[in-house]
Amino acid sequence: MTIVVEQLRKSYGETRALNGIDLRIAQGGVVGLLGPNGAGKTTLVEILEGLRAPTAGRVSVLGLDPARQTRELKQRIGVQLQSTALPLDLTAFELLEMYAAFYARAQPVRDVLSRVGLEASARTLARNLSGGQRQRLALGIALIHGPELLLLDEPTAGLDPVARRALHQVIREFNRAGHSVILTTHYIEEAETLCDRVIVIRSGEIVADGTPFELVARAAGTSTLWLALSGPFDPGPLEAAGAEHHGQEGAHHRFTARDPAAVIVALGEMLRSQRVTLTDLRMKRPALEDVYLELVGDGARERPEASE
Amino acid sequence: MSQLRSFLALYRGHLLAYRRTRTAIYWSFAFPLFFLLMFGFVFGRGNPDDTRFIMPGLFTITIISGSMFGIAMRLVTERETGILRRQRVTPVTAVAVVLAHGATALTTLLASLALQLLLARVVFRFRIEGSWPAFILVLLLAGAALVPIGLIVGSVARDSRTAPAIANFLFFPLMFLSGSAIPFMMLPEWMQRLARLVPTTYINEALQGVVVRGEGLAKVAGPLVVLALTSGIGVALNGLLFRWESTEPVKGTRLLLAVAGLAVLYLGAYFFAPALGMAHYRARG
Repeated sequence: MTIVVEQLRKSYGETRALNGIDLRIAQGGVVGLLGPNGAGKTTLVEILEGLRAPTAGRVSVLGLDPARQTRELKQRIGVQLQSTALPLDLTAFELLEMYAAFYARAQPVRDVLSRVGLEASARTLARNLSGGQRQRLALGIALIHGPELLLLDEPTAGLDPVARRALHQVIREFNRAGHSVILTTHYIEEAETLCDRVIVIRSGEIVADGTPFELVARAAGTSTLWLALSGPFDPGPLEAAGAEHHGQEGAHHRFTARDPAAVIVALGEMLRSQRVTLTDLRMKRPALEDVYLELVGDGARERPEASE
Repeated sequence: MSQLRSFLALYRGHLLAYRRTRTAIYWSFAFPLFFLLMFGFVFGRGNPDDTRFIMPGLFTITIISGSMFGIAMRLVTERETGILRRQRVTPVTAVAVVLAHGATALTTLLASLALQLLLARVVFRFRIEGSWPAFILVLLLAGAALVPIGLIVGSVARDSRTAPAIANFLFFPLMFLSGSAIPFMMLPEWMQRLARLVPTTYINEALQGVVVRGEGLAKVAGPLVVLALTSGIGVALNGLLFRWESTEPVKGTRLLLAVAGLAVLYLGAYFFAPALGMAHYRARG
């Protein structure tokens, strides 16, 4: 187990940031922590990094206690923090070189620059890098000592889709080498495409945990079907299969159903026995976003950004 | 060993960044030069003997401004922007971080002193009466005594607005009481007594001895011991007061300890000054 968390609690005075978190993360995955502002994501990650001490509970990261074996842990984890900065008057190369010196072992700066795609900007001052380049430099710094585990707090916040994709690429490559990544994000699309496990946190508690596919399947969402048909059409058999007819939108009839597979089977029957032909079919399954909004719903407004 | 490597990497980084900052260069080079020319022409009237008399005061002012301004600000800015926070999650220790800032300040301070010296020599044919090794040792100890105080200001200041306020608040007493801006003899007696409670008096005192009176190290040993102790206590206090993050509170008990530590030192110096044969006693007696 890369990470084991048992009954983890963290309070700031009266505010409870984490309210009994249990979590086991095996080696080798990309795990996304999803949740509204103030849900406790950052607090959780910073406890794993050894930056904050838990109020109660047990935490083990790479077999170490982050609060006590901080020094050993720091050599083995790569971190990107949310509210942080780099000295702006140094070049990308100089910054990587400086951070490399902090560790017992480090990788060649040139290699790291090429891994994060900044070879061409090696001699550019950090202040002159674009937002995406700075985030990649920050990721390069997190990778400089060849860590076994990456902990990234909103690594792609504020980036355009192209820059975000470039960063995903670096994260995937790191993961492909068998290392684990834990990241927090606000982007559901990011969790869906990048993570193979998504943990939804709300008000300091885990409210959902699974692969993006599982989360979608588990939620009681409804699918929408649009059918364009020619010939006399009777929606009766489809309604019998559990579909609800919402009338026509242009050439398409719109249906909603909890079990779209049953509707498709009924549609096949209908096409064989009746004088109708299907000219177009579209279907929309509930997305992770719908599931997420269902899970956190009012939680998004529940508390201020006290803990984050 | 690894912390030495971290220290050197940080120190090098600070110097590289410093070289690229225009305002920093203005404060360490343009400002001291302006002071030199003004002092040299106005008070020294451009002749070597009078200039020699005012140079210790000028060096003292350069050391005070070089260790109060800039350095505290750099520390506060690094804390406020989260640069320190980012370093906190690496194996680098607070000791390496603080010492790298201190070494940077000492280096730029010595560079501005060197420039001031060079120009004083060229323009005013300035010469020191004492030996160069003694002179350099005094400057080094003076910097080593004051730079940690600048760092303490950086650690206790709440944010980038309070830091310059505290530095200014310290700058004027440190300057006027030391006898560097106004000759010591012109201060009223109670102020001369008060002056023994500030570190800069001992800087000015040692410099007067070496530069003007041509004294050897043995004769200025008293002030040098006070400066060395100030430096040691200052470095230790930095260890107590350093903060990685703005959200960490300044611990009141530690601050109290810091003030108490320096107070003990200077009360000691106050009472031992006559025994140590410090200048204002000699000059009057």
